[in-house]
Amino acid sequence: MGCSCGSCGDAESRLIFACSGAANTGYLADAVARRLNSDGSGGMTCLAAIGADLSGYVESARSADKNVVLDGCAVGCGKKIFEARGLPFTQLVMTDFGVEKKKTEITQDVIDRVTAEIRQRI
Amino acid sequence: MKIQILGPGCSKCKTMEANVREALSLTGVVADVEKITDLDEIMDMGVLMTPGLVIDGEVRSVGKVLSVDQIAAQLKGGK
Repeated sequence: MGCSCGSCGDAESRLIFACSGAANTGYLADAVARRLNSDGSGGMTCLAAIGADLSGYVESARSADKNVVLDGCAVGCGKKIFEARGLPFTQLVMTDFGVEKKKTEITQDVIDRVTAEIRQRI
Repeated sequence: MKIQILGPGCSKCKTMEANVREALSLTGVVADVEKITDLDEIMDMGVLMTPGLVIDGEVRSVGKVLSVDQIAAQLKGGK
């Protein structure tokens, strides 16, 4: 019999990390991650905690079925944090979704559209 | 040494605890064993899947039941 406690890892674990950087693109990454978390597409957790090498977060990422890293721009801070620790991940960059860094206004419509596109790809 | 076993009390968590106690017996390592079942406390440690194993404050394993041998290796300082 499988476990039914809901945290035992029997269900697929998909973790979502957002760069949450200062630019509009970081804001979008954060908003999309929170939306994906609330609709059950994945569990948002803290990229900063991975960067700080907090063991619980790092081991959770190592054990997850899939880690989705949402970077705002091509600088790719999230990608670099994961690569530096040898953690598996899939990266999606907000500027690949028709958003221009420091220029595009992040409206609700933009958040809705990018969330929908990313939901299809994870 | 302080060992914390993280999990709400399901069968996997109980197996993990049994394996920890057997590994301690096998290795002769003396440790305080604490079970943490509160999910908020577990998540505050960054552990998102259980069972989890923490040794002296460092999370060593998440989301899987380690064998007695694997735990014994951890107790001896391995990763």
